[in-house]
Amino acid sequence: MKGMEITFPGVKALDKVDFSLRKGEVHALLGENGAGKSTLIKVLTGVHRMDAGTMLLEGKPIRPANTLEAQRLGISTVYQEVNLCPNLTVAENIFIGRQPMRRGQIDWKTINRRAHELMLKMGMDIDVTLPLATYSIAIQQMASIARAVDINAKILILDEPTSSLDENEVKNLFAVMRELKAQGLGIIFITHFLDQVYEISDRLTVLRNGRLVGEYLARDISKLELVTSMIGKDINEIYNLQKATQKEGAPVVLKAEGIGISGKVEDISLHVKQGELVGFAGLLGSGRTETAEMLFGVVSTQKGDVSMHDKALALKAPLDAIRSKMAFCPEDRKRDGIIGDLSIRENIALAIQATRGFMSPLPKAEQQELADRYIKLLSIATPDAEKKVGELSGGNQQKVILARWMATNPDLLILDEPTRGIDVGAKAEIQRLMLEMCEEGRGIIFISSEMDEIIRCSNRIIVMRDLKKAAEVDGSCTQADILAIIAGEGAEEEAV
Amino acid sequence: MKKSVMQSAFLRSKLFWAIVAQLLILLVGFILRPDFLSIQLRTLSDGTTVLYGTPIDILNRASEITIIAMGMTLVIALGGTDISVGALVAVSGAIALKFLRWDVLVYNTPGDYTVQPFILVLLLPLLACTLMGLFNGMLIGKLKLQPIIATLILMVGGRGIAQIVTNGKQFTTQYSPFKFIGNGSILGIPLPIIITLLVILLVSLFVRRTSYGMFVESVGINPSASRVSGLRSDTIIIIAYVLTGFLSGISGLIYSSRISSNDSNNAGLGYEMDAILAVVIGGTSMTGGKFSLFGTVIGSLIIRTITTLVLYFGIVSEAIMAFKALIIAVVIVLQSEPVRNAIAKRRDRKRLLMGGEARV
Repeated sequence: MKGMEITFPGVKALDKVDFSLRKGEVHALLGENGAGKSTLIKVLTGVHRMDAGTMLLEGKPIRPANTLEAQRLGISTVYQEVNLCPNLTVAENIFIGRQPMRRGQIDWKTINRRAHELMLKMGMDIDVTLPLATYSIAIQQMASIARAVDINAKILILDEPTSSLDENEVKNLFAVMRELKAQGLGIIFITHFLDQVYEISDRLTVLRNGRLVGEYLARDISKLELVTSMIGKDINEIYNLQKATQKEGAPVVLKAEGIGISGKVEDISLHVKQGELVGFAGLLGSGRTETAEMLFGVVSTQKGDVSMHDKALALKAPLDAIRSKMAFCPEDRKRDGIIGDLSIRENIALAIQATRGFMSPLPKAEQQELADRYIKLLSIATPDAEKKVGELSGGNQQKVILARWMATNPDLLILDEPTRGIDVGAKAEIQRLMLEMCEEGRGIIFISSEMDEIIRCSNRIIVMRDLKKAAEVDGSCTQADILAIIAGEGAEEEAV
Repeated sequence: MKKSVMQSAFLRSKLFWAIVAQLLILLVGFILRPDFLSIQLRTLSDGTTVLYGTPIDILNRASEITIIAMGMTLVIALGGTDISVGALVAVSGAIALKFLRWDVLVYNTPGDYTVQPFILVLLLPLLACTLMGLFNGMLIGKLKLQPIIATLILMVGGRGIAQIVTNGKQFTTQYSPFKFIGNGSILGIPLPIIITLLVILLVSLFVRRTSYGMFVESVGINPSASRVSGLRSDTIIIIAYVLTGFLSGISGLIYSSRISSNDSNNAGLGYEMDAILAVVIGGTSMTGGKFSLFGTVIGSLIIRTITTLVLYFGIVSEAIMAFKALIIAVVIVLQSEPVRNAIAKRRDRKRLLMGGEARV
């Protein structure tokens, strides 16, 4: 593909990008969120059309108008979320739409036999007559690949195929990829995991902000160079973060005593001081999110008390928490965070407006000023404040939600997985913002599954286990200490 | 460049196609009968001059639906629906006529007086409809019932209430201040048109000058995120249904004034569907979210223009409904996403070929 260009309202999604894939290679496509990887794939598979540029397949110009046409040309895609029919059998899924017939009837025998052979080639000896949903994601993915390959694919696109696989499954997938490569297929591999890039790919192409950064041989580029080229900055500069300085005798902002909901989270007590960042560590489902939701009034507590600045709160709804100067960035950004069809300006003004009530609207000029200020402060990538939030990339959406809460000037922020699913650059920016807010004297509760970022940022860490608070440790502890507590090995309640 | 992006977005919008449809329907009327679009001043027997002509008639007769559809727009933008509005129109008329003719035993004689202060005759029906709107709103906002089920209660029950209020009777009145609402005119403009314009203006101001409109869209798009951001969706929902109830009351007064009577069985019949259709043609999605009051006005005018066109050309009355449905089907197909995109794409390509400035 040469000089591809595609424009979306207001943003150039791809700008003169060249991309070439050879037979029998695994080519990794890399870039941060919003770099243009998905757009490029969508052009290849006929979802979007190019505004300019040409696309050649085996020397012949092509211009697929839809995914079906692309498939016929030999371009198949396996998405992150498997797009097969879970209630049909594995065999049916592989042959759907092109069932072999015998005397006017579907030839089930052949279907099942060939499906079994195909899966066997993938190293999966399974019963193909069972519904797809009975198997793990890894096997479903294999079925999806089997289908693509059997349709006589020349190009196979794997979009984040490994994100929900465990180590062994990844190994198996890579084995299959090597096999297909040897058969002469060209494979485009998209992933966030850099180690996997080095393990499997021959060449890689890096995109940034819709532009081509470069094409490299995987063995020629170091990991550090690669990350630097992806984010356009030096990684060491990004991770040069300083924990918030603790002042002696800083007053307590938030205090919770024995809060809980029977059957869910039990008897949690904690406090956050001014200018302090308290990390919440623990496994998924250990009660971190539930605790945050109780503190913010998203769910109502049955037991215990919450107070802000020594004033007891009656939390019936999030609005009560907001009025007492709390803020909450929820874990599920799409469901609980953004209002997709509203503009950036409206999304940022929403929480302030909620506390004022709708009868005293914030003047539009003030909203505009607010939005412009935060777009600049948080470097949100957008042409203007009127763009719909739903059209932004994940990291930028997260920044808009942060802006919404920063605009309310909170004394306490609860951030639930604020860096999940966003790229390295935006992640570091959000961490730096958190620490800046601490320096301004705000208290922060930071929930994350990534142990190293918790340790990097927190002054104090609360470890959750099995819906209870397992321990509270100082921010200078190591990852091993926390893991030991999570695993439940001997760590006793430890007061700080 | 940015301008052409916006132009293209507008071409793809439902509102644009609603306007096109409206113009097309008017054009068809004009081609078939050139006097379809003419407006004249006419002097009535009592010496007053009024504007006269099909366009005025369309505006006038669209009033009842347009007024209700203003509230319905907000209800639908919240992801809800209100199918009780037609019944509320009947309730409003029943209460008004009951209070005008409270003393009457011989109800079938036309009376040219009122036995209650006239202001009460106007306020009580509005109050009743507002309370019924509150009832809908509480069921949906507080008890979280499904809107279509919650409003089904009053859709059925409303006409029953109207029957009870009037004892199942039909009253008529010749009291001129009451008749003036639906039949009078100020400066030659029929009063229903003036009332409708006022309602449009006030609702628009309420929605866009306060943050109510933004809250409605926010809750309509993502209720869960709205709650976390501090919005009280129950209050927002209740207000929308209360407003719709109140507006149905106004619509009922206009309707019963036009026929100088109440009619528990037929007043407002089918209004809920026309109002919902007006909102949808105007570009607001039934799944909630962004809404356009202006679009709803266009939608309501389209529905009325179709009805007028059908009546105007003397199509046999049995065929009217089917004919109306046919035109509406065409309008909605024109508006459907694949058709809109296809037309917009075609235009873009044409301009590209001609070397125009479209770079979208």
